[in-house]
Amino acid sequence: MTGADVRDLDPGDGRSATPSVDRVPVWRPTTSRPAAGSAAGEPPWGQLAADWAEVAEHLHEGVVLCGPDGSVRHVSPVARRLLPEAVVGGRLAAVEQLTSHESYLRHHGRRLRLRQVPLSAGRSCWYVEDVSEDEKRAEELAAERSRSAFLTTVGDKLGNPMHPDRAAAAVVRLAVPTLAEVAVLVTAPRSGRARWWRARQDADGTPAVDRGVLAAAQLPPAIADSLRGSAAHTVDWLVEQAVDAGWLPGGSAADVAARLVPLPGRDEPAGVLLVARGAGGWYAEHDVDLVRAFAARAGAALTTALLYREQTEVADMLQASLLPVAPAPAPGVQWGTAYRPAQAGLRIGGDFYGSHRLPDGGSVFFLGDVSGKGVEAAVFTGQLRQCLHALHRVEQQPARLLRLLNDTLLETTLAHGQGRFATMVLGVARPHRDGGLGLTLAGGGHLPPLVLRASGEVEQLPLNGMLIGVVPDPRIGQVSTRLAPGETCLLYSDGVTEARGGRWGEELLGTDRLVQALGGCHRMPAPALAERIEQVTCDWLAQREHDDIAVLALRAAGGGRPQRHLHAVPGATGSDSARTTAQ
Amino acid sequence: MTAATQDTSLEAAYPDYLHCLAEADEHSAIEVAHRLLDGGVAADRVLLDLVAPAQAEVGERWARNEWSVAQEHAATHISERVVAAVAAYVDVRPTRARIVVACMDGEWHALPARLVAEVLRLRGWDVTFLGASVPAAHLVSYLHRYDAYAVALASALPMRLPHAHRMIEACRRSDVPVLVGGRGFGVDGRWARRLGVPWAPSAPAAADLFDDERALRAVPPADLVHLADDEYASLVSRRGELIDSALAELARRFPAVRDHSPAQLDATVSDLGYIVDFLAAALYVDDGSLFTEFIEWLATILGSREVPVATMDASLEHYGRLLHDFPRAVGHLQRGRAVLAVANRQAA
Repeated sequence: MTGADVRDLDPGDGRSATPSVDRVPVWRPTTSRPAAGSAAGEPPWGQLAADWAEVAEHLHEGVVLCGPDGSVRHVSPVARRLLPEAVVGGRLAAVEQLTSHESYLRHHGRRLRLRQVPLSAGRSCWYVEDVSEDEKRAEELAAERSRSAFLTTVGDKLGNPMHPDRAAAAVVRLAVPTLAEVAVLVTAPRSGRARWWRARQDADGTPAVDRGVLAAAQLPPAIADSLRGSAAHTVDWLVEQAVDAGWLPGGSAADVAARLVPLPGRDEPAGVLLVARGAGGWYAEHDVDLVRAFAARAGAALTTALLYREQTEVADMLQASLLPVAPAPAPGVQWGTAYRPAQAGLRIGGDFYGSHRLPDGGSVFFLGDVSGKGVEAAVFTGQLRQCLHALHRVEQQPARLLRLLNDTLLETTLAHGQGRFATMVLGVARPHRDGGLGLTLAGGGHLPPLVLRASGEVEQLPLNGMLIGVVPDPRIGQVSTRLAPGETCLLYSDGVTEARGGRWGEELLGTDRLVQALGGCHRMPAPALAERIEQVTCDWLAQREHDDIAVLALRAAGGGRPQRHLHAVPGATGSDSARTTAQ
Repeated sequence: MTAATQDTSLEAAYPDYLHCLAEADEHSAIEVAHRLLDGGVAADRVLLDLVAPAQAEVGERWARNEWSVAQEHAATHISERVVAAVAAYVDVRPTRARIVVACMDGEWHALPARLVAEVLRLRGWDVTFLGASVPAAHLVSYLHRYDAYAVALASALPMRLPHAHRMIEACRRSDVPVLVGGRGFGVDGRWARRLGVPWAPSAPAAADLFDDERALRAVPPADLVHLADDEYASLVSRRGELIDSALAELARRFPAVRDHSPAQLDATVSDLGYIVDFLAAALYVDDGSLFTEFIEWLATILGSREVPVATMDASLEHYGRLLHDFPRAVGHLQRGRAVLAVANRQAA
């Protein structure tokens, strides 16, 4: 940067520089006699000229003065070092082709900045400066910026929860091309098998990812050591091992540089990353630092993903046991269900439904809602369903079965001090010879079921009763009805009628709107009907938060060909005009 | 000439099949499909050349007010049963990676997505169909739990585009590429391009796109710089206020509105809400055609139900007044009114 720097770069030359004092008139062309500078009142030009050589030595810029014909008239010491071919009387061939007034030139391994300034009488002056250091710093800054930009991208991509396989694929994909031409990630072996992911740079520069599995015993020794956390940072025969494993394209170890970095895990490494560059590529210290920084982030992502998977595996098993089970197929009954828990990510909630076949060909079915939300509520629904599963074998009369369930729950909740309760409708359906269904329903404080009659009318069954699991010997409502072929009975939870929507999201859907929405739907198959209720509710909610939503529809399917029978149902012309009301 | 024979049998089966849908006759509909498969017609042709066009016809009949919502639902249910029967008949063993097919949250027309799922299954993909109206949280937790090669997301509702965008971003954060389809992204997929997500016009096109992972991942970024003007965000936050005000205006100008039954009032509120939602979506992707296409469609629907468009025009006019300092919204509303005037003249 400075003249001194230039001198350092060119040792010996600075000392030998002998500025030509004779040429100094250049600096004051009007002064023909430099020695006369001592005249009173005039600046001490002679003294300045004498000092000039020493002063010029420390300027950042060198100076080359050219005459009107372009020939060099003066070369300052710094300029002489930077442009050694510039000699007095010669021409500045090296810079003559430069057209602009300020330009850069790579010259004798240095980067020079030159600017040409026109002087009087057609002469011109070139100022030349060595900016190699600037350039080096700019390059270093750019490199540092690109490294931190790379790590930011990596953080963005790997900072999100992912499936472990996705995380592994993302790690190798991100490593190419910045860190490697080929990147291989080997994850810690699980039950004797280690999986690997590899990204290779394609012809167009984008990474292509593939993967495979190796028996833990067949892992290259360097990889196996590193996975145990006991590897040296540089391994001489690493490339050969990678070639043997079939990971490097071309199958040759020549000219390939590779590094192996463990990905930190919870205890032992979560995996190891092999990065390789072919044909003259190599890993400088800052490259290795970058690979390590990358590996730290990749390790964290992989560890999180594995941890998440372990937990979701457990959660999934538990969830599966708590999810409502599709009703058991039963002769003469077409089931339809809809289930939408409040917490979509959790998939389970406090609403439940189900059915069991009875030995006499009938079915016991139920739908209910327990107090509370989320996991706790779901666990309670599980207990409740287990109870019913056992109890329906000893008691099939709905009201008595519900009372039995109440006593059992009361005992359990007292024992555990849980204080949980449920509302539910429980019924028994028995097929009739004509294709209809006989229904007996018992109510435990739940919303009364609706019946879609063949006429298109929607009827609300008069069913009430008290909460289940609160008091001994509760009042249980009971009602019996008959479904003609094609008629449907609908059980639903309060997540439907208490869905909040409307203009401001505060209005309840309510039974009237539900009944209205069911108008003209009496010909619908039970699954379509259940879905329609779910849809009407969700449309009303317009993506707002909601309580658990559950619907159980059972339709008298009639004989073998219910649809043919349905066709003869009077008034079933299928129009929106049929107006319906709740009783 | 096998192909020709198959064509004929498909063509011959189509009216039969449509009849089965009209009669809500599940068994006969499945029989029609089975006969074709027995006759050697490829499963994907049964799905795409029989089930799909019939379902499109069902939608048309609803739009023309020839069929009730209930009939549409019943027919759709039967189509779904037929798709399941075709899938069971072929029973392809998956040989490729998993693809998750889902409908946008709020999208209840699951059949088109189901058809895509089955066509992908026929091509050997291990397909998981998550069904209608899948909440974003459910989809994302599914992706965390089970690795997926890609997600196919269906939406027929342009007003759900802002939500679709969020859902797409959520999938991508799990490093799973997304492909979208359905009219909700524009007939030519132009709104998908705006959101920076690949789009497929048909099930076979989707299957072809899934074959090329690089094309799936190499998508230009979303082009949503216009959101900086905050018109979208402000409109969304003023939704309730806008609907309230428009309802009061309608009651003032049209005495009949004051005598609406609760159900009619709900319908009016929901129509006023749709207008705001479509306007918001048009602002989100900065494309006025999204709004004018919706106005055209709504005019057709209301026209077939003999609802006068005067109230709709009054609503657009009123929204325009309330949103006077939102230049983009005002422009969309003006063009919407122009479209409405044309539709009105054609109807007259």
